[in-house]
Amino acid sequence: MYPLVADNNQGYQDNRAKKIPIDHSLMPPCQAACPLHMQIREYVDLVAQGRIMEALQVIRSGNPFPSICAYVCTHPCEDACRRCQVDNPIAIRALKRFALEFGGDRMIQAEAETRHPEKVAIVGSGPAGLACAYYLRALGYPATIFEAHSELGGMLRVGIPQYRLPREVLETEVQRLTQMGVEIRTNTRVVSLDLLFDLGYKAIFITIGAHQSLRMGIEGEESPGVIDGATFLREVNLGLKPSLGNTVAVVGGGNVAIDAARTALRLGTHKVNILYRRSRDEMPADPAEVEQALEEGVGILFLVAPTGIKRENGRLSVTCVKMELGEPDASGRRRPTPIRDSEFIKEFDTLITAIGQAPQTPADFHVSIGRGSTIQVDTVTLTTNRRGVFAGGDAVTGPATVTEALAAGRLASSRIDDYLQHRYPLVSKEGSESVSGDLLPETIEMIRKTGRLEPPILPPGKRRKDFKAVELIYDWEVATNEARRCLRCGMGAEILFQDKCATCLTCLRVCPYHVPYLDASGTIQIPDDQCQACGICVAECPAKAIVLRKPYDRRQITEELDHILKSAAQSNLKPLIIGFCCQYGLFGTGTLASLWRGPKAGTWLVPVLCVAKVEADHILRAFEMGAEGVFIAGCGEQCARENTAFWVRERVEKVRRTLVQIGLEPERLQAFVLSTTNEDPAEGIDSFVEQVGGLYLASVIMQEVKS
Amino acid sequence: MIVAEQKPLEEIRRMIIPYERVLILGCGTCMTVCDAGGEREVSFLHSALRVAQAKSGNETHTFSEYTLKRQCDPEFLDVLDDKIDDVDTVLSLGCGIGVQALAERFPALPVLPGVNTSFMGMAKELGVWDERCAACGDCRLEETAGICPITRCTKGILNGPCAGTKNGKCEANKDMDCAWVLIYKRLERLEQLEKMRRYYPMRNFRAIPRPKRITSKISVDVVDVGEDNG
Repeated sequence: MYPLVADNNQGYQDNRAKKIPIDHSLMPPCQAACPLHMQIREYVDLVAQGRIMEALQVIRSGNPFPSICAYVCTHPCEDACRRCQVDNPIAIRALKRFALEFGGDRMIQAEAETRHPEKVAIVGSGPAGLACAYYLRALGYPATIFEAHSELGGMLRVGIPQYRLPREVLETEVQRLTQMGVEIRTNTRVVSLDLLFDLGYKAIFITIGAHQSLRMGIEGEESPGVIDGATFLREVNLGLKPSLGNTVAVVGGGNVAIDAARTALRLGTHKVNILYRRSRDEMPADPAEVEQALEEGVGILFLVAPTGIKRENGRLSVTCVKMELGEPDASGRRRPTPIRDSEFIKEFDTLITAIGQAPQTPADFHVSIGRGSTIQVDTVTLTTNRRGVFAGGDAVTGPATVTEALAAGRLASSRIDDYLQHRYPLVSKEGSESVSGDLLPETIEMIRKTGRLEPPILPPGKRRKDFKAVELIYDWEVATNEARRCLRCGMGAEILFQDKCATCLTCLRVCPYHVPYLDASGTIQIPDDQCQACGICVAECPAKAIVLRKPYDRRQITEELDHILKSAAQSNLKPLIIGFCCQYGLFGTGTLASLWRGPKAGTWLVPVLCVAKVEADHILRAFEMGAEGVFIAGCGEQCARENTAFWVRERVEKVRRTLVQIGLEPERLQAFVLSTTNEDPAEGIDSFVEQVGGLYLASVIMQEVKS
Repeated sequence: MIVAEQKPLEEIRRMIIPYERVLILGCGTCMTVCDAGGEREVSFLHSALRVAQAKSGNETHTFSEYTLKRQCDPEFLDVLDDKIDDVDTVLSLGCGIGVQALAERFPALPVLPGVNTSFMGMAKELGVWDERCAACGDCRLEETAGICPITRCTKGILNGPCAGTKNGKCEANKDMDCAWVLIYKRLERLEQLEKMRRYYPMRNFRAIPRPKRITSKISVDVVDVGEDNG
């Protein structure tokens, strides 16, 4: 017999492929925006395929404490997401949380062994300290965390309310550090670094955060009943229940102000008002959090600033002034100025100030302090003015996000490693890659608009009562559908074999998004940052010159077919029915795979990432392998990409005509592309399998299998 | 560009009956562009032939495939030197020129045409091609506003339109535009309608000897070497 896959062109093609390196250079904007540079595009794509465990692996490889980020990350990736230009960004943070919950993150055990003798002390157990300990331990250093409070976590513990970050999530992550062998010393406030060096630590990482609230600088700020936001949240988070009275005012517009206001509500306060001196557009707090606060009944008085506080009869009488916005200031926000004679007085039981925080570094540390009380460090090496002393996190940057702190901790761990191993610090290449540019209007026009699918959240009435997590988890179907909205930036088609390209313009004509174009020299260009990676041109190119940039999208369908042929021969099951099934959305979640067990065994699925990538040739090969029936199942109208169903039908028709010429029954080939959302994907396929199974056994091609 | 369509599978199967080892040879130029014999079609035909053979059960061909950048110049065929020893025939998916170039280059090798070379033309839209040039060797497009009456008029007349034109369509095919009406409209637009009023004398097609040859060499004579086409 002849070999099943005789491809004399292979060597020739391989040689061509070697000459032209594959271009992966464009970084998706989400990854570029993430302080940790997580491979967001990759894990979102895996979630879209229902490959949750693999998604979890990708997430874990880029983030030491992903479940914390899954709750509290401010998701700069979503702000940078190019889907913003089309409709709304992908719900990346919620998808990450879905992957962690469904992928079994809690089961993952962390292990590490000691490979170096040099001990490292980490002062402070906020996200930066925890991350640094995690990575130092992974590198093989003995690490000790010193924490002044009774429990680990820093701001994660004492700053962020429980309804945003449930404590068991924090516990699970902290538990991993213990598993890895990180030494933990709580209730231990470090007062002198010299003492640590005396104790034998070779390097120290200072990550003491920014816990000191800034003062408003107005009269009466010291009155009883005025409390600062950081202290208030710390007291509540450490289990105290400060009595606030019935009416509370919170001054400020950042995340701490919102956290304080929502916490006050949950403590039973009837009325909480936020006083903010600018308008809603300028609020630095996460807009979603602001929205949730408003839903819960927090009132916000915009363009209002307190100018004086008086305590009378056990209540606070706060003089406020109305503001108006002037020219933009250094921060780019419009500067508020008081309106003359607009003072008014409001009464509150408690006033919480949340206008900003700064680090407070003990003078005995003898590290040099810069602007805003932050510790001064070298930007590359993260070293302070003292030898062997590094610093990072809020203590260096001023109040910032959890993810930035994690990134700082990770960077510090490798800098400390460099220092201890006497290496010159390797400057990372991250950030030097070029990022996908904006989408063109003609591309945007053709992209299917599908609104963002949010995970469910508790109704406002319910969540005011306690500190339970506000946001719930996606269900499986919604999550995969949300992940399918990803535009897969930078994963698109490229002409790998420019010398094979006959400039036939097929790609230009089949592209639903009008992406390929002829440049002035008459060469076809497929701009990486516009391509939507639907794969239609890859299958339609008559010269086979186009490939998709993403390596695992190039999963060889022919290899899958060979694999099926061998397995089928071993299992000795008849009839053999082969289905090319899209792995995205409905079909990717195992809907189909579970259908044909038991009596219906004998149906083999070839996973494809969108049926638009199945070529006519692949279908013929399935028949050659001895398939009694072949079907193609794709999302059709539910597909995230345009025109895919049309091309599937075209190719099926082409193969059917050839089948007739060969003398095979064309009914043995069927395409299932859903036209409505209500259609049951399995029903039609099921009856096809029933009909075809056993009917054409006589004309099945018998194939000799070579092992 | 040269446009062709692949021969029906039955015809191709009939042609290859005498030969055991068949090399399916694609062409990376015109035949790729017109979807008749590019790498994708080569591999599709390859699969179809294998399936058909497996179905019939009593044939023992072995197939291989290869796609050249162009078949119509002998230098492109050099890479085949070490391949043709292992095959009994080449099924060329090149145009008629490619088939003949192969026959000339490999005198002892049977060469089979896998496509019907049809015309010179261009794509009207994706997957649809129209004839545009008859290669008559005497181009009059200057006089006919860039629209060729030889190919696009059913009768190929030089002084049109004929009496069969109706509503701008041809009497022979009511779906087809009358070339001479197109010429008129375009001349009108170009303000060159006086060209319509001229009379173009008959052309003597018999006087054009075949096969034609064009030489851009000035001083050297091209002499046909006696060929043995096996």
